[in-house]
Amino acid sequence: MPLLEVRGLRTYFATREGDVKAVDDVSFSVERGRTLGIVGESGCGKSVTALSIMGLIPKPPARIVSGSIQFDGKELTQLREAELEKLRGRDIAMIFQDPMTSLNPTLTIGTQITETLRRHLGMSAREADRRAVELLEEVRIPRANERLKDYPHRYSGGMRQRVMIAIALSCNPKLLIADEPTTALDVTVQAGVLDLLEELREEHQMAMIVITHDMGVVAEAADDVVVMYAGQIVEQASSLELFDRPEHPYTEALLGALPSLEGERGREERLASIPGRPPDLLDPPAACLFAPRCPFAGLNDYCSVEAPELRELRPGHWVRSAHPASERAAVAV
Amino acid sequence: MSREGKEPLLVVEGLTKHFPVRSGFLVERTVDRVKAVDGVDFAVEQGTTLGLVGESGSGKSTTGYCVLQLLRPTAGSVRFDGRELTELKGEELRRIRREMQIVFQDPYSSLNPRMTVADIVSEPLEVHGSGTRRSRRETVRVLLDVVGFDPSFTNRYPHEFSGGQRQRIGIARALALNPKMIVCDEPVSALDVSIQAQILNLLRDLQRDFGLTYLFIAHDLAVVRAMSDTIAVMNQGRIVEAGPAEQVYTSPQDEYTKALLSAVPVADPRRQRERKAERRRLRHALAEGF
Amino acid sequence: MVVNPQQEELRELVLTRTGGGVDAGAPIRQTSLWRDAWYRYRANRAAVIAGGLFLLLVVYVVFAPILSPYDPYAVDFSQAYQPISWSHPLGTDQYGRDLFTRTALGGRISIGIGFAATIAITGIGILYGSISGFVGGRLDNGMMRFLDALYGLPYLPFAIIVTQLFQTVNFWVMVIALTIASWFTAARVVRGQIISLKENDYVRAARAVGARWYRILGRHLLPNTLGVLIVFVFLELPGVILGEAFLSFIGLGINPPKASWGSLAQDGRDVYLAHPTMILIPSVAIAWLILCAFFIADGLRDALDPRTRET
Repeated sequence: MPLLEVRGLRTYFATREGDVKAVDDVSFSVERGRTLGIVGESGCGKSVTALSIMGLIPKPPARIVSGSIQFDGKELTQLREAELEKLRGRDIAMIFQDPMTSLNPTLTIGTQITETLRRHLGMSAREADRRAVELLEEVRIPRANERLKDYPHRYSGGMRQRVMIAIALSCNPKLLIADEPTTALDVTVQAGVLDLLEELREEHQMAMIVITHDMGVVAEAADDVVVMYAGQIVEQASSLELFDRPEHPYTEALLGALPSLEGERGREERLASIPGRPPDLLDPPAACLFAPRCPFAGLNDYCSVEAPELRELRPGHWVRSAHPASERAAVAV
Repeated sequence: MSREGKEPLLVVEGLTKHFPVRSGFLVERTVDRVKAVDGVDFAVEQGTTLGLVGESGSGKSTTGYCVLQLLRPTAGSVRFDGRELTELKGEELRRIRREMQIVFQDPYSSLNPRMTVADIVSEPLEVHGSGTRRSRRETVRVLLDVVGFDPSFTNRYPHEFSGGQRQRIGIARALALNPKMIVCDEPVSALDVSIQAQILNLLRDLQRDFGLTYLFIAHDLAVVRAMSDTIAVMNQGRIVEAGPAEQVYTSPQDEYTKALLSAVPVADPRRQRERKAERRRLRHALAEGF
Repeated sequence: MVVNPQQEELRELVLTRTGGGVDAGAPIRQTSLWRDAWYRYRANRAAVIAGGLFLLLVVYVVFAPILSPYDPYAVDFSQAYQPISWSHPLGTDQYGRDLFTRTALGGRISIGIGFAATIAITGIGILYGSISGFVGGRLDNGMMRFLDALYGLPYLPFAIIVTQLFQTVNFWVMVIALTIASWFTAARVVRGQIISLKENDYVRAARAVGARWYRILGRHLLPNTLGVLIVFVFLELPGVILGEAFLSFIGLGINPPKASWGSLAQDGRDVYLAHPTMILIPSVAIAWLILCAFFIADGLRDALDPRTRET
C-alpha cells in the first residue's frame, strides 16, 4: 500500500467573483522510500496541493471541496485540526522555499530544533540538546554544538535550508514535502542541498515529495514525476520515462523551452516558447485547458469542446491529452 | 556606423568597487571595506553579447551598475564608444546615458506602480526632451508593438500585468532612446520557464534587428549559454575565467567554473546521475563547505 | 526583492483573468489600486463605522451653525444653563447661548486647527525628510542628529511660548504653535520611506535614463509615499487635537469670542458639579473625533499596506 494516496483532490479558493479552482481533480500516490516530483509553473496548483495535504491552506478563503488524502491508512481530510497538528512535524514534515523567512529570527537555532523535539517526542532539555547537535551534524553543519547557540542571521541561505531540513527530520517523519527547496539558493548550494536530501532520504527510508518549477531539479531528485497545469495533472510517469518519452504537448514545450547546458544547440538555439498564458481558473472552460496554447489542437478538434481524461498510455505513464506524442507520429503531418 | 577594426564598444579595465563599512558613535569611521568588484577586465564587441555569470555575491550586478555609472567605480576605467565614462559628469554623462540602458531583474520593482505603462515607456523621451507629446505617444506605441505588448493597454498600471508582460514594458523603456548597449541584469530570473523563453527570444530578435550590444548578467548558466557570444565567470569580485562561450562551457579551465557547471541540474535523469558523481569529486577537490 | 514563487502562485491563482493568444495578451487583472484599497478598507468594520461617524461629525460642524436659528454670540442670561431639550439639544451655557450651535462652531475651529496643523506638520516633515533621505550620506547624518536634539524640546511649553509671542491668538497662531515642535516624527517617517523607496529598481531606471533629482523625487519617490502619509495624517490628528484642546482648556488657546472645544470645556470647568454637561459635551466631541481618527488610520493602514500590494 502506498504511504500517501491522494484521490480526486479539489481545492478551491473563494473570491469576490467566485471560486478559483486551484486544484481540480488531482490524484497521485507516493510509495515509501521513493521521491515524487511535482513540477509546473506558477499558478499550476502544485504548492496548493502540498499545503492541502498538510492541511495548511488558509481555511477561508480556501477549502478542500472533495477528494481523499490517505496517509499511512488515515484519512487526512477527516481529521480535526488538533489531530493534524500531531501529524505535522512528526509523521509528515515540510520544508519551504525561503529559509530566510521560515526561521524565527529571534530564537536561536538550537531552540528552534529542540522545540520540535520536546513537543512531539517529549524529550527532556538535555536529551533534546544532544539530539539537536546530532541532527545538525547529520545535515553537515560544521562545529554543530557551537552553532546551536547562533541566531539565524549568522547562517547563510544554504545553511539555513539545512537547518530547516534538520528540523523537518528531527522526528523521523515518514514523508517529507519539500516546496521549492532550492529555488532561493545559489546553484552550487542547491546541488549540495539536493544531494543531502537524497542521502538523508535513503538513510531514513523516507518518502519525499519535491515541488519545483525546475525540470533539472526534477531530473536530479525525482523517481516519479507529476506535471501540473492549471490545477490539473497533465502527465504522470517515472522520471526516466518522462524525460525519455514525454507525451503531453505541455511537457514537450516545457522541455523545449529550457535552454540547454550541454549539447549542440547553444547560442543558435531558438527556445520553444509557449504563446499565451494559463487559463482563468475562476471559470475554466469545459474543454482541454491547454488547448488555446497547444500547437496540436486543431480548429475543429474536440479539444476545444471536451476535456480529455487522464488515461494510461503505457503502463505507469498517464497523459491528459487528445494529442500525445506517440499518437501524433502515426498521423501524417 | 560600422565599428569593424575599431576598439570594442565597451572596454572595462581594472574596474574596482569597494563599499566602506562604517561604524562609530557620533562620527562614523570607515572600519573595513567590502570588495564587491575587485579588478575586473573585459571587452564587448558591438552587436555581440557578453554573458557575465556568477552566483549571488559574486559582484556581477555591481559590475553592471558600475559600467553604467549608476555606481561610481572606486577605480578602473570604463570606455564606452571611445569615451571614458568615469570622467564624465553632469550634462555630458546625461547625454551619453541615451546610448546605454538597463533592463532589471525584478519585474515588480522595476516599474513605478503609480505610473501608467505609457508614462513609464515615454519617460526616457520626456527626460531628454525628444519630440512632442504626440510624437512620443506614437513612439511608445511602436516600442510596445516591437516588444510584443498590446499597445491598446497603455493607460493601465503595472500591477495589472503579469511578470512577463512587465518585463516587456521594461524592455520597451530600455529601447526608447535607441541605445547602442543594454545591460540586462538577470532579466529572466524571476519568470517562469515558458515566459523566460519568450523574453529570451525577444531579446535575441531585438539584438538582431537593432544591432544591440548586450552585457547579459545572470546566474543561470544555461540561460547565459543561450544568449552569449563570450562569457566571463565571476567569483567574489573577480573574473576567474573568460572566453568564447562554447569554449568555456565545453572545456572550462578554472576549478570554480567547473564546480559551477557541474552543479547546474540538467533535464536528463541519466546525465544527472553522472554529473552528481562528478560533483562529488569536485567538491573534494575544492574542499569548500557550503 | 526576490519574488517568492509560492506567494506569486497563490496570488496569480486568485486574480488571473483570461489570457489570449497574443504574445503578451491582455492585462491579467483589471481593478485599480484605489479600488482594491477601498475593498480592503470596507472589510474592516470598525474603520467603516468610524468613517461614517467622522463624516457625521463633519456634517454636523459644517451645517448646524448654518441651519441653527440661534445666534451663537448673543447673550441672554434668562436662558442660562438650560437643560437638554428639544429646543436646545445640548442645552445652553452660562450666557444662555445654544450649545448645540456653539459646539458645532467650536468643532469647526478644533477640526480646522487639527487638520491645518497636521498638514503643516506633514508638509515640513516632507521637506526635511525628503532632503535628508534623498541626499543621504553626511547631510542625512547631520540632519538626523540635529533632529534627535530637537526631540528633546518639550512640545507643549514651546506651543505656549508661541501663543504668547503674538498679540492675539487666532486660528493661524494656534496652527503655528502646534506645528512648531511636532513635526519631527513626520520628518522621520518621510525619510524612512524615501530611503527604502530609493532602493527600488524603478528609481535606478530613472537615473539610468538621466532623470534629474527633482524628477526622481517628485515623480517616483514622493507619490509612492502617499499611502504612508495618509495613514500618518490620521494618526497625528488626535495628538494635535488634544494639544489644542489642552491649550484652550488652560486658557492659552484661541481667544474668545471664537471658541474651540477646548475653550468650551474651559467654560464648564468651574461649574462642572452643577452643570456637568458643559464640560462633558466638548469632551465627548473630542473623544469622538480622536477615536474615529484612530480607527480610520487603522483601516487605512490595512487598506494601503504595501505588503499586500504589488510593490
